[in-house]
Amino acid sequence: MIQKLMEHLRHNNHHESDDSHPRMQGILPEFVETAHSRIFILNLFFIALFGLMVLRVADLTIIKYKPTQFCASLETGEEESEKATLQTKRGEIVDRNGIVLATSLFTASLYADPSEIIDPKESAKQLVSLLPELGLAEIEAKLSVENKRFVWLQRHLTPRQHHDINALGIPGLHFEKTEKRVYLHGPLASHVLGFSDTDSNGIAGVEHSFNDYLRTNSKPLQLSLDIRIQHILREEILQTIDKHKAIGGMGTVMDVQTGEIVAMVSLPDFDPNQANLAKDVERFNANTAGVYELGSGLKLLTAAMALDSGKVTFASGYDASHPITVGRQQIHDYRGQKRYLTLPEIIVHSSNIGAAKMAMDVGAVKQREYLARFGLFKPTRIELPEVSRPLFPSTQNWKDVNTMTIAFGHGMAVSPVQMLSAISTLVNGGILYRPTLVKKQSSEEIFGERVISEKTSLQSCKLMRSVVLEGTGRKAAVPGYLVAGKSGTAEKIKNGRYSKTANLASFIGAFPIHAPRYVVFVMIDEPKGTKETAGYATGGWIGSPLAGRVIKRIAPILGIQPVDENDPSILKRTLVNYTGSKLNGVHLAAVKTR
Amino acid sequence: MSKHYFSKTEHSFWYKIKQISLPFVFVILSIASIGILMLYSAANGEWDPWASTQLVHLSIALVAFIIVTFIDTHFWYKCAYLLYAFALILLLAVEIKGYIGMGAQRWIKIGVLNIQPSEIMRVAVILAIARYYHNVHIHQARYIATLIVPLILCLIPVALVMRQPDLGTALIILSVGVALVFLSGAAKRLFVGASVMIAASIPIAWHFLRPYQKERILTFLDPERDPLGTGYHIIQSKIALGSGGLTGKGFLEGSQSHLNFLPEKQTDFIFTMLSEEFGFIGGASVIFLYFLIIAYGYKVGLTATTQFSRLTALGMTTGFFCYVFINMAMVMGILPVVGEPLPLLSYGGASLVTTFISLGFIMNARTHDKV
Repeated sequence: MIQKLMEHLRHNNHHESDDSHPRMQGILPEFVETAHSRIFILNLFFIALFGLMVLRVADLTIIKYKPTQFCASLETGEEESEKATLQTKRGEIVDRNGIVLATSLFTASLYADPSEIIDPKESAKQLVSLLPELGLAEIEAKLSVENKRFVWLQRHLTPRQHHDINALGIPGLHFEKTEKRVYLHGPLASHVLGFSDTDSNGIAGVEHSFNDYLRTNSKPLQLSLDIRIQHILREEILQTIDKHKAIGGMGTVMDVQTGEIVAMVSLPDFDPNQANLAKDVERFNANTAGVYELGSGLKLLTAAMALDSGKVTFASGYDASHPITVGRQQIHDYRGQKRYLTLPEIIVHSSNIGAAKMAMDVGAVKQREYLARFGLFKPTRIELPEVSRPLFPSTQNWKDVNTMTIAFGHGMAVSPVQMLSAISTLVNGGILYRPTLVKKQSSEEIFGERVISEKTSLQSCKLMRSVVLEGTGRKAAVPGYLVAGKSGTAEKIKNGRYSKTANLASFIGAFPIHAPRYVVFVMIDEPKGTKETAGYATGGWIGSPLAGRVIKRIAPILGIQPVDENDPSILKRTLVNYTGSKLNGVHLAAVKTR
Repeated sequence: MSKHYFSKTEHSFWYKIKQISLPFVFVILSIASIGILMLYSAANGEWDPWASTQLVHLSIALVAFIIVTFIDTHFWYKCAYLLYAFALILLLAVEIKGYIGMGAQRWIKIGVLNIQPSEIMRVAVILAIARYYHNVHIHQARYIATLIVPLILCLIPVALVMRQPDLGTALIILSVGVALVFLSGAAKRLFVGASVMIAASIPIAWHFLRPYQKERILTFLDPERDPLGTGYHIIQSKIALGSGGLTGKGFLEGSQSHLNFLPEKQTDFIFTMLSEEFGFIGGASVIFLYFLIIAYGYKVGLTATTQFSRLTALGMTTGFFCYVFINMAMVMGILPVVGEPLPLLSYGGASLVTTFISLGFIMNARTHDKV
């Protein structure tokens, strides 16, 4: 066949000059000639494209090969997201272990150019059928606006909504690439993270405090929070609120050596992804913005300042058999012992009379000085915008009665974080650290201020331990983790009077007390007593067991080894040790029967 | 000039059967079988919903192939303009229907059949241009006046299909038209001049593009600009291809495809899935099979004995090549995503039947080769 064609071709070449004799039969040799050369050119082109395809397949499958199984998208996704973060305007927020708490996603936002809209009524109807949360009349009005070329219709569409609206094919609807802040754990750390507005400006929490950092840095902001601890704390507080039909609760866990906050929960809370729906009470961070008369926890500070200033020793004590009358007020003990109490007994039995007399011995001037050094007179310097000033009498108004009531936690209101810092100082050797929500780097030097001597700190540890062994903190005990602390019950002021039914039941403590690592504060707002608590709604019955449950769960995660509580070297560091004390005997007996 | 380039020779039925190239049919059926296998995999190892239906499509397509192969070329020659007119009417009908229905339309319903007029036009435009050039002397082909008719034949459907909007098919019709004009002997300087003009007009055209169109082009050049939007398909496709390696993950084991990271894996992105499961070797083998079909098509074109047969075979082959290339280049990120299926492999009855008809015309040129 081809030979035949070639013959034609040759024949034609022979007659090339003679165009006037086109062959009328079969195929013209000139066709063949032209076609051959043209096919040749075209085929070169196509072969080149085939080569290109094979090379590209080789390039993708072999050269850019990424051996992946199920995590293929995750692994490569990381690479993509690295590129994406370069475009992301706002940095991520991660916890101390790198778990992402807040991130930014690109979303499509819908706007309209009303001048391009042909049929506002029909367009609005179709739109509302896809976005039922929008009002028909409102959208129609927006689409009918004259002399305007831009109206927002809906921000941050889901990909599905984006797709569906696109599919409507309505001219005049446009999308703009916008950024949406996403909080991956919902309400879990809502008060710490805060939230940002539609334009990704932080307006609460660390989102606000670190707004400039997050806007300009592609490196994530690493918080001191541990989301696992946060979860446990929140779960336990929620359960207690539920069980005791309380109106709220809060809790904080802090590292005593660095001031890092490992967990901070305030309930009720909110979902920062929908912060606009949150009520004021939900947005309120009780740990920093709330100030409370925290009750008995203050007695620990009173004892510490008395010991530190040398006014008392473990062997000395006060007569607590009669109430004190100051002006029109009387100071009672709650279920008092009505006898002479040693210093440890004052703490163990939570004697208001003893604490008041002790504070009078220290004196108002010294007392104010110590309280100021414990950081209770200034708002906490934690990195949150939601911080309240403590409430306390001015120096002119600071009368004896104030000295006495403040000694056992009344007449002065501080935020739980302030209190936690103070207690942290009591147990960590006597140094006050600034509470922080940002993870400290291991190389970072941490500055603190000495408030009390190491000796006083050790004595305070022993006092706190004795409360858990003997007093109202017994239900906070966790075998092996040496919990120490003090429960507190403060009556809430209702209609200007202390209420007998509305309590703040709290526990503030540290563990493991032989070598303190963490302090914990929990408080339940207006709990109701149950059968289990014998009808009581006090710190000892509600705060202490809650703290115990929390510590039992978080201590292993925080890497704390359980120890033998009866080990002599530990007993020496944790037991109140003074000769001739009746209490010491009780202690040892109690330890032995365990 | 008259229509005397056809001989009066009758091709006997047995002659036609003998002329059928069994290797050609075998290669075509191989690719189609691989396609059904991939559809079975795409449904996570189920015959339903794609593989079983595609088998039905395949049998219909095979019948169409045989019919086209055996009907005498004279008949197709006579029908060429008629078929073109018919396709054009259907395209216009779709356009009008689309206008009334306020939205994009590609389909038209005739009886129980859903017909895609652009698919018919793909074939008809080749036959029409081939018939036109059959009657044009090679010396006339060099004149610009000769170009008017084929250009109209080509540009009207291109404009209509583009309005649907189906940019991919419009591009293919245009490319085939241009290739046919080129093969028929139009002056080469025309093509050089046109290429230069297109290249020169790109920067000017850029100014007239709307922002979203610019965004789309920029996203094609750099898919990471919009990884969750327009760039999503192509990024996922490249990830899946890249996870295949030399030999692939194995049949039914393509995690990207089976976990639905890969969109449209049964149609537009079937080649990606194949390369994920069978690696470079699988992908390159399929490309080679396509190469065989195209090489055979050009061989038939080279040896055809009438201008009509020659141009029909070359046009069908070029069209087939364009489809293969546009799809593969798209999934590999060489071309923007225009949404064209891969002939023979992708799921879809309309595409499969049209492809077999096109290949039937190549076979037809072979079976009717007596001068």
